Amino acid sequence: MAGAGACRSSQPSASSSSSATKSVAPQRGGSLVASIRTEPGSFNRYVHRDSGAELISILTHAKLVRINKATQAVEPGLADSWTTSEDLRKVVLKLRPGVTFSDGQPFTADDVVFSFQAVYGLGHHGPLGASMEVEGKKLEVTAVDTSTVSIVFPVAYAPGARILDNLPIYPRHKLAAAFKAGALQESWGLSTPPSDLTGLGPFVVSQYVPGQRLVFERNPRYFRKAGDGTALPYLDRVTVEITPDPNTELLRLEAGQIDAMTIEVAPESYATVKRAADAGKVKLYDVGVGYNADALWFNLKPGAFAGDPRAAWLQRDELRKAISLTVDRKVFADTVFLGAAEPVYGPETPANKQWYWGRPTPHDPAAARQLLASIGLSDRNGDGTLEDASGRPARFTLLTQKGRANLERATSVIRDELKKIGIAVDVVALEGLALIDRFANTRQYEAVYFTASKTDTDPAVNLDFWSSHGGAHIWNFDQKTPATDWERRIDDLIVRQIATPDPAERKRLYDQIQEIFADHMPMVYFAAPRIFVASSARVINVTPALLRPQLLWAPETVAVVH
Amino acid sequence: MSRYIVRRLAFAALLVVVVSSASMILARLAPGDYVDLSLPPEASAEAKAQARARLGLDRSISAQYLDWLGAAARLDFGRSFLYDRPVRELIPERAANTAVLAITALVVATGIGLPLGVVSGSRRGALSGAIRFVSLVLLSMPPLLTSLFLVFVAARTGWFPIGGMGDSAIDVLHHLALPAAAIGLPLAAVLERLQAQAMGEVIGAPFVLAALARGVTRSRVVWRSALKPSLRHVAAVYGLIVGSLLSGSFVVEVITAWPGIGSLMLDALRARDVYLVTGCAGTGALFLGCGTLLSDLALGVVDPRASERVQEAA
Amino acid sequence: MTRRRSLRELWRAGSAVARDRMASRFGAAVLGVAIAATVAAPMLAPHAAGDHTDRLLNAPPTIPHVRDDAGEWHAPFIYPWRLVSQLEQRYEEDRSTRVPLVWLSHGRLVESSDDARAPLMLLGADSFGRDVFSRVLFGARLSLGLAAAAALGAMLLGSIVGAAAGYLGGLWDDVLMRVTDFVMVLPAIYVALALRAVLPLVLPPRTLFAMLVGIFAVVGAPFIARGVRAIVRSERRLDYASAAEALGASDVRLLARHLLPATRGFIVVQLTLLVPAFIVAEATLSYVGLGFPDPMASWGTMLHDASSNLRVFADFPWLLSPAVAMFLVVFSLNLVLQRAGAAVVYNERP
Repeated sequence: MAGAGACRSSQPSASSSSSATKSVAPQRGGSLVASIRTEPGSFNRYVHRDSGAELISILTHAKLVRINKATQAVEPGLADSWTTSEDLRKVVLKLRPGVTFSDGQPFTADDVVFSFQAVYGLGHHGPLGASMEVEGKKLEVTAVDTSTVSIVFPVAYAPGARILDNLPIYPRHKLAAAFKAGALQESWGLSTPPSDLTGLGPFVVSQYVPGQRLVFERNPRYFRKAGDGTALPYLDRVTVEITPDPNTELLRLEAGQIDAMTIEVAPESYATVKRAADAGKVKLYDVGVGYNADALWFNLKPGAFAGDPRAAWLQRDELRKAISLTVDRKVFADTVFLGAAEPVYGPETPANKQWYWGRPTPHDPAAARQLLASIGLSDRNGDGTLEDASGRPARFTLLTQKGRANLERATSVIRDELKKIGIAVDVVALEGLALIDRFANTRQYEAVYFTASKTDTDPAVNLDFWSSHGGAHIWNFDQKTPATDWERRIDDLIVRQIATPDPAERKRLYDQIQEIFADHMPMVYFAAPRIFVASSARVINVTPALLRPQLLWAPETVAVVH
Repeated sequence: MSRYIVRRLAFAALLVVVVSSASMILARLAPGDYVDLSLPPEASAEAKAQARARLGLDRSISAQYLDWLGAAARLDFGRSFLYDRPVRELIPERAANTAVLAITALVVATGIGLPLGVVSGSRRGALSGAIRFVSLVLLSMPPLLTSLFLVFVAARTGWFPIGGMGDSAIDVLHHLALPAAAIGLPLAAVLERLQAQAMGEVIGAPFVLAALARGVTRSRVVWRSALKPSLRHVAAVYGLIVGSLLSGSFVVEVITAWPGIGSLMLDALRARDVYLVTGCAGTGALFLGCGTLLSDLALGVVDPRASERVQEAA
Repeated sequence: MTRRRSLRELWRAGSAVARDRMASRFGAAVLGVAIAATVAAPMLAPHAAGDHTDRLLNAPPTIPHVRDDAGEWHAPFIYPWRLVSQLEQRYEEDRSTRVPLVWLSHGRLVESSDDARAPLMLLGADSFGRDVFSRVLFGARLSLGLAAAAALGAMLLGSIVGAAAGYLGGLWDDVLMRVTDFVMVLPAIYVALALRAVLPLVLPPRTLFAMLVGIFAVVGAPFIARGVRAIVRSERRLDYASAAEALGASDVRLLARHLLPATRGFIVVQLTLLVPAFIVAEATLSYVGLGFPDPMASWGTMLHDASSNLRVFADFPWLLSPAVAMFLVVFSLNLVLQRAGAAVVYNERP
């Protein structure tokens, strides 16, 4: 089966004064309080993609397969086994027998087919539609019989069943009517009575208090069982509190009013949490370096700087490579993440053990100067700043988002480091959507420092990031055809990468892609933070993951001490 | 007099319409829109275009505005993008939460600030100076710091819950302590300073000297005769204070996790949730419009010279 | 022979009015020192607002000593901070090394002789490793300047509008008050966001300053206008006003000489409220992009950054220095402007 992940060799460490709790066997019963920062937009995951809706989906719905966030392996979910055809175009899944929805209705292949129909029917109105397509084309999903589903991919697709971790399966008997009437968009909004919300997940929604909390109760009909036969979930109840301010959230955690956070601990708060952990009040997990790092990129749209004398150097590869050589990643990690970060040089981080290929760039300002001289920028008048051939100083504007400490500190470091070799950077911190509007809609910018995260560790699932089809290259959106030769080469390689069954060959192809990326560096990466998560001391049997929600990705296995 | 009130109410209604309209236009003019939030930046242009069409964001501002105006006449204020609920449901819920907080803070502030202002304004000495000092400390502290500090103290002492609103009535009262203090204490300082100033001025009036010469005790003079005219400074701005409290303080609401209309307004703006922004601004205008009316009526009561009747007759 | 009396004795012995005057002078002195420090910031501050030391994020203040552990006297010196844990931001004093201070060099009054590794930070460092003391001084220029200019503007605008409304009454009153209502009610943050979109990306600080003064003056004026209007309306009916009118005083003279002075007390209190409000509002506006670019210091943003980390109360209290500075300014302003207690005192022991 293609797409199986390698096991992580190291377990995340938990700092807690009582190691005895680790060996306590989980028992049924008890409740847990989790916290989120923003209210979910809806109970309908097909329509909203915010973190609240995602958490609700994880708690109350199930998928055909589940990617084990710790091992990256694809594990059975609603489908307990599947076979992939030789040409990687067809996956046939056998569904688990005897599974029922929380309202007692049996789960069949028709629900799977309906879910796909709904997601595609919503089309681009919903965020999930795009993630369930391969190369912009839909999957063909048919019910072979009531417990078998066949999925045909539009092209040979190596990750195969892995893509099914994106789609929660919705009940046909509840939503088919709304879908036919074209009203699926409005279904399962926040004013829906909880009794109407039916799912296959470990919990059901029992109460929603607007602006404050959501309460979930155990779903007695949940299909998973623990290794020893205990009916899961362990917890009787999960309460999700909405706490907008990170400081208040931490205080509640320390006071024991919150049991699990769904967001990583910021580096500035590490010391506070560590102190509480040493006192035995909370557990602090160091999950290791994360999968995603923020990046600096320039506006590489051809002709974006027409008429601007800086066009001669602003879009050149050499400029970005010089930046990568100049910024001291150690200083960067120390200032931005207080040292709790690892240097990265490309979109993959060492956390993605299966796919990571790194070519470290040394910290070499002299080499940077040479590169810049090769594109015409040198210090012609000895004043410490670089100028081009006509004496104009090298200066550009770097945009970032106001209010995010990591981004603001990072741009400050970049500005200071570039000043050392003579490039002046004007950092402008814009409000969130104003920034996104600039680089995604109006494309009126020179450089941006922002987050461009990937959702899965398998690059083929992140086609949006890699391929220029449909214009997803963030440095140059909406390319009809690849603008540069190297982007074309990446396109070719990614197409091959998707379709190759052999994991070693896929890795080799992906290494090549990463190498091309490193040669031309459309995005410059500096450091990826270590992920710390915190829970109260009562929480046991969690396997912290790198992606959010770090502690609750397998909520049925989480338990509390009695 | 009743003609005056009717006229003012009509103006308040006009104000609400004008402010709502201006907010809708400003929300559309602001860069970015809700689709930039609901879809990832990498989403294809067609996806974004379809999403915009569904939400009606592809229409021109004037078209969307006229549609909204027509619907608003039927009391349909649109649907929030962010929460997928009618604005008509969402706002009263949150406004009620803020109202609870606002009224409590107001009671606290008035109950503490006014009497202290009278005391510190009618005498000199250590007490007056001490009250003034404390007021100035509270006044100069930014609301962000005050709220954070109070939450921090609550966490350390464990006397009060850390944020949230609570369920039952007693629970809500317990949760109310922190945000009400965060808003009420600085407000008490404001009222104290205003009242002290006004009181100090009134004490110098001839009628006070006359009363004292007649043998009326000092405290009676202060608390009976001098008090009412001295309230005019506070009365002039009291309605504004009420109005702006009802519009919510988003800083306090965010930090103490109090689900009020202040934080709703900020979230709506951040997400460019056009109809919700419009609704929140309109609600704020309604409160403030009524607030100024309240102020002017209070002024008339407290200072008959300034009342409409007298002014109109002159 | 009369002996020199101590300040305390003078204070006790003096009349209430004299005490008031002393307090007022004290306030003026503090304000004077603040303004002088602000003007002399480039000389008084050991660092520029943007200078930072990467190894000293959130480092505690370096206290100047004159006596070392052995009891020997030296020229003023500091002990450097040694980083114990970057992630936990813990430091310990390296008492084995003395770093002497140098005076009157590089155009600064005083700085550390080893500025790169052991900078003189009288109020510690912020989360970027920048000297808080220097930033408070430079930030005073921005924040106090902005607040003062805006408060004056609000006062002028509000007084004119309020006086006109109160004096003229009738339709003028209605129109003016409804316009001020509109200004008060329209969320300034929406306007700021829309405004930011039409402005160029990189705003020169002077333009930004002028714009912020304008915005704050307009936003702050309604409160003043309301109060002034109320006072003018009622004072207008008093005998002295009618008498002046009968004697032929023009409208303007009536307003300027007789009615507006009655609003002095109210305006004075409003100024005391507006100054801290404007300082904080600058930080709020910077969230929609109308803020001063990064290395420039302002008290509002300094406090905002300090508030983003919970540890500020227990571990990094020096980050709250701008709040103390703000309090000092507000306090002395109030001392100068607002007379303490009653204007006249009856049967009270002096």
